[in-house]
Amino acid sequence: MASADGGAYSYSLTVFSPSGKLVQIEHALAVVAGGTTSLGIKASNGIVIATEKKTSSILIDDSMLDKVSVICPNIGIVYSGMGPDSRVLISKARKCAQAYWKMHGEYPPTRVLVQEVATIMQQATQSGGVRPYGVSLLIAGWDINRGQSLYQVDPSGSFWAWKASAIGKNMVNAKTFLEKRYNDDISLEDAIHTALLTLKEGFEGQMTEKTIEIGVVTIPTPEELELGKADAATGRPKPTFRKLTEEEVRDYLAL
Amino acid sequence: MSIMEYNGGSVIAMVGKECVAIACDLRLGNQALGISSKFEKIFPVTDKLYVGLPGLATDVTTLKELFRYRVNMYTIKEEREIEPDTFAHLVSSTLYERRFGPYFIEPVMAGISTTPGGKVKPFIAATDLIGCLNFAKDFVVAGTASSKLFGVAEGLWEPDLEPEDLFETISQTMLNAVDRDAYSGWGTMVYVITKDKVIQRTLKGRMD
Amino acid sequence: MASSVHLPTGFDFSNEIRNNFLLDKGVKLPKATSTGTTIVGCLFKDGIVLGADTRATEGPIVADKNCEKIHYISDNIRCCGAGTAADTEFTTALISSNMELHALHTGRKPRVVTAMTMLKQMLYRYQGQIGAALVLGGVDASGPNLFTVAPHGSTDKLPYVTMGSGSLAAMAVFETGWKAGLSREEALQLVKDAISAGIFNDLGSGSNVDACIITANGTEMLRNVEMPNERVQKERRYGFRRGTTAIKSETIRSLIVNEEIILPTTEAMDTS
Repeated sequence: MASADGGAYSYSLTVFSPSGKLVQIEHALAVVAGGTTSLGIKASNGIVIATEKKTSSILIDDSMLDKVSVICPNIGIVYSGMGPDSRVLISKARKCAQAYWKMHGEYPPTRVLVQEVATIMQQATQSGGVRPYGVSLLIAGWDINRGQSLYQVDPSGSFWAWKASAIGKNMVNAKTFLEKRYNDDISLEDAIHTALLTLKEGFEGQMTEKTIEIGVVTIPTPEELELGKADAATGRPKPTFRKLTEEEVRDYLAL
Repeated sequence: MSIMEYNGGSVIAMVGKECVAIACDLRLGNQALGISSKFEKIFPVTDKLYVGLPGLATDVTTLKELFRYRVNMYTIKEEREIEPDTFAHLVSSTLYERRFGPYFIEPVMAGISTTPGGKVKPFIAATDLIGCLNFAKDFVVAGTASSKLFGVAEGLWEPDLEPEDLFETISQTMLNAVDRDAYSGWGTMVYVITKDKVIQRTLKGRMD
Repeated sequence: MASSVHLPTGFDFSNEIRNNFLLDKGVKLPKATSTGTTIVGCLFKDGIVLGADTRATEGPIVADKNCEKIHYISDNIRCCGAGTAADTEFTTALISSNMELHALHTGRKPRVVTAMTMLKQMLYRYQGQIGAALVLGGVDASGPNLFTVAPHGSTDKLPYVTMGSGSLAAMAVFETGWKAGLSREEALQLVKDAISAGIFNDLGSGSNVDACIITANGTEMLRNVEMPNERVQKERRYGFRRGTTAIKSETIRSLIVNEEIILPTTEAMDTS
């Protein structure tokens, strides 16, 4: 944070250029564009988010890498760009979700969490002594009010809701591919396959359960909805977001 | 003298069949001295949700405004009306924030919500002054006449009362209980909330 | 993060000055709801059984006849609370929340000792001002674990524990009946008996028995597993005839929105 009397030393690195651009944000977008591809597709009965997990060397133990993260039982995030920056955001998003839960006794709707994360990212574009986050996020979640929704948040802090979107290295091609493939009444199963097909375009190397990560949002059944917040066994609602296990990913790849 | 008895006042809420009722007395006192007989303690939160705030009058006003602020912020941010159970949690955490310097208020809430399947769900709740929630299935009481209200309500309440019968039950409970409480009374106001209307009635009470 | 929907965490002491002033003037500060309570937990062959009564009291008044005192910490950990009701409620909620963050961060199933340590550190920090006396139990990678946490932050690890005002009655039952290697049914019966001892012999405890069985295979919450104090159906109806209460004024607000659609009247085209 810039101190009040910091004088000349507290100038923000994000100063408008004469042409009206914030070059730091453009550089951050360049980082994202160089990152591994991630995508999300909203289906009629859920959402899939998927990403390519690439390591620079076969010697790296990739079991510790996580690109799709659970934020709270109804929301998940996948990122493209700088891993370390994403971890900071994921951790902040989780804390936001828990703070919301403590206040309201329920987890935040997707849009509220997206706004929170976007605000954090925006603050980094206007504060002294910091740089923008070098990531774009795809946030997928389900809530009673708006159902399943998929959002993209960029380093500038701007966000959009998508039916399907891609971020990272092959985003332009991937989006074109998704535009051709997408229809409004696609099922979750089909969406997962479409997601894998899209990733396959421009995938370098072998697609395996080790190099792909998938997260899915499922929607509760009408009976579960009628029960409300209280699931009989735990007194909490059933999670609507989960990461697919390696076995499940392998099964989808085999098809 | 307890600070909860300084201004006097009581609130009760009851569950009926697809309806709820909430009632308060109208007295504002300065200990034994009566000040006003128009001091309402029940405030609307949404169309179908009301909150009663018995306790220290200065905190009634403060908390009414605080809840109004927080509910408005919620409505703007979430672009939807707050649900009764969510509001109850909001009240609870707002009060617990001041665990070591509380507001001297014991809120009572009554409202109805609709499940996704279209079923009407009555909702009542009360908290103590530091926000411990009590979700009762029958009735909740608070204020200087709470001990009397407990007794009368325990005798008169029965399940599945229709709105008009619930009105009689809550009214008689309130009127009879506050007659034995020196700090409550001076008239009663009742709200009966059903899925398609809210009936507000003022009742005649003893003026001594 | 000033812009966040949530407010700064922690307690707000801004009413302290006013309240202390009132206290100095001789007014008594009111009591919060407390759970007089009998809460217990015991080990058995495959896990843990926790138990609680369901009465909440405000001084001599029964404030809630069927409250829940077995709080959720995580899928494999539960915590029974005695003492100031709001404190047990919010302390367990806070720890549950932190345990969830911890589990997401580490990617592992949370351990009971972790919850126990979080609880004792928090309660010690508040020097007993947070009036939560807890029985914490669960099954994790290290097996079944059972603890008590006292309001000042001290903890015990024992095979069978009781807390709250009914702890003596309940402990008497455990001391006679508990042995190592109890079966699931035996342990549940023992817990039911211990809570019943509290319900019937301690004024601070009452109403129903809640129990919770936690094993490596899952958690079974038995809400109101025993209801020995069910209210009987009233012999007669005490409803008042409609119109009993004299009404001074009435306002009815309809929540039904009546919409009338007025179609635009067709006007002859202006051809002038």
